[in-house]
Amino acid sequence: MSSPDRQARTVEAARTERARERRLQGRDLALAILTPVALLALWEVSARFGWIDVRVFSSPSDVAVQGAEMAADGSLSEHTLATLARLGIGGAIGAVLGIAVGLLMGTSRALNAALGPTFSALYALPKVAILPILLFIFGLTETPRILSVVISVFFIMQINTVAGVHAIDSKLLEAARAYGARGADRFRHIILPGALPYIFAGARVAVGTGVIVITAVEMLASNTGLGYLIWNSWTLFMPDKMYVGLVMVSLLGAGLTALFAFVERRAIPWRRDRRTP
Amino acid sequence: MTSAAGLEARDVSKVFFSGSTPVWALEGVSLDLAPGSFTCIVGPSGCGKSTLLRIVGGLEQLTSGEVVRARTDTRIPEAFVFQEHGVFPWMTVADNVAFGLRMSRASASERTARTKDWIARVGLTTFADHYPHQLSGGMRQRVAIARAFATGSPVLLMDEPLGALDAQTRQLMQEELLTLWESERKTVLMVTHDIEEAILLGDRILVMSARPGRITHDITVPFPRPRTVGIERDPAFVELRHEIWSLLKDDVRASEEDA
Repeated sequence: MSSPDRQARTVEAARTERARERRLQGRDLALAILTPVALLALWEVSARFGWIDVRVFSSPSDVAVQGAEMAADGSLSEHTLATLARLGIGGAIGAVLGIAVGLLMGTSRALNAALGPTFSALYALPKVAILPILLFIFGLTETPRILSVVISVFFIMQINTVAGVHAIDSKLLEAARAYGARGADRFRHIILPGALPYIFAGARVAVGTGVIVITAVEMLASNTGLGYLIWNSWTLFMPDKMYVGLVMVSLLGAGLTALFAFVERRAIPWRRDRRTP
Repeated sequence: MTSAAGLEARDVSKVFFSGSTPVWALEGVSLDLAPGSFTCIVGPSGCGKSTLLRIVGGLEQLTSGEVVRARTDTRIPEAFVFQEHGVFPWMTVADNVAFGLRMSRASASERTARTKDWIARVGLTTFADHYPHQLSGGMRQRVAIARAFATGSPVLLMDEPLGALDAQTRQLMQEELLTLWESERKTVLMVTHDIEEAILLGDRILVMSARPGRITHDITVPFPRPRTVGIERDPAFVELRHEIWSLLKDDVRASEEDA
């Protein structure tokens, strides 16, 4: 016997509960934004009052001014685009090769037996360590820089793709076989989409690793790019410029990660949780 | 529309090794399915009924014997319905239903028309663009059943197609499957552990024994078609269910104790 009055009170209680949950969500968002802002403010204040040595830790405002100057004279975009081009070209080549080889290794037991252990061993090798060999072979050109990215990305994508193919439910492979999926059809409709979640997980790791590798390579063997900018600023004792480089590398990594997250949501709609009522 | 072909298996045996001891999963199993008939296999778990189905469908190798398929012009002579996980999670309902037609190189217009038709016949028209994870278990099995029928194969092989569903959904789906099949009259071989389901749907029920897997009884279901679930109240139904259960009981108990 639920009287209208009692019903109203129950609905009111549920509404209060929902309002509380929304308030908490708003608070979480505010905290997530305020923390870095507060840290930057603290940094700025510390620099202004001389609590930290501004010759080493430039104030955020000085870095911003320096960044604006570099943006105006075009040196910022020059370095950023150089790094981005190497990452883009090397990453694309490495990813395409890595995914292709991974799909073949994932579906061919013999190929996986032949190449798997060797590739796993090479994966563990720090790619920057082979830069001298690449410099020996190709000289101080773009080729060794791009190749470093290609090699780093290749192994990550290859290993993740193989894992992705192996993770496909054997019952789905059987269903595919029962319905006559063979050869190219099987790759296109079953193996590739089935491995896609792992491929994207690999891509996320590859973006991070690619940024590390290209930055290190540019520090060692380049006179363009953000890695060069950071290293050169340090040797010339120009901390403002160094921090501009650091900020740009961070933004580059974050931007690429966000881009991949966006593409992933588009490419794997069946993983998106939008259960309809 | 109806293109039915029969299916025959002669003296099929399947032996695999568990360590160094040979295990007879199937021993001398023969089957002869009349075109357009619905045959159910019941038996204790581990009796090799799924193995038999997979051998008939070419998913597993037999050790000796042979399977004789009717000659058809379809590229997929037998279409499977699996218990679970047979629907591709990365394809929409429409793409899943169209998969067999796509693989058998049906023309785009035929594919679209038949897919649309079968999605409608299993009542999923408003869900055509949904992905399987957005559907209930019963709806996913409707997709699997629609795919098998839409493929156009003369023979359908069903491996406990309703086995993973809750009791109420299963009851509904049994009725739907009954109606769909009676309008199509494909040759069906279905494995089930549900005796009532076997009586409701089947023209014939083959009873299998546990290892070595053999067909011990071949029972003709006497109820005329078209059938409804109403036959479950018929004394003959209850009698038949009891008869099959008494055939199975000892084997089921034995396989429980083995496990």
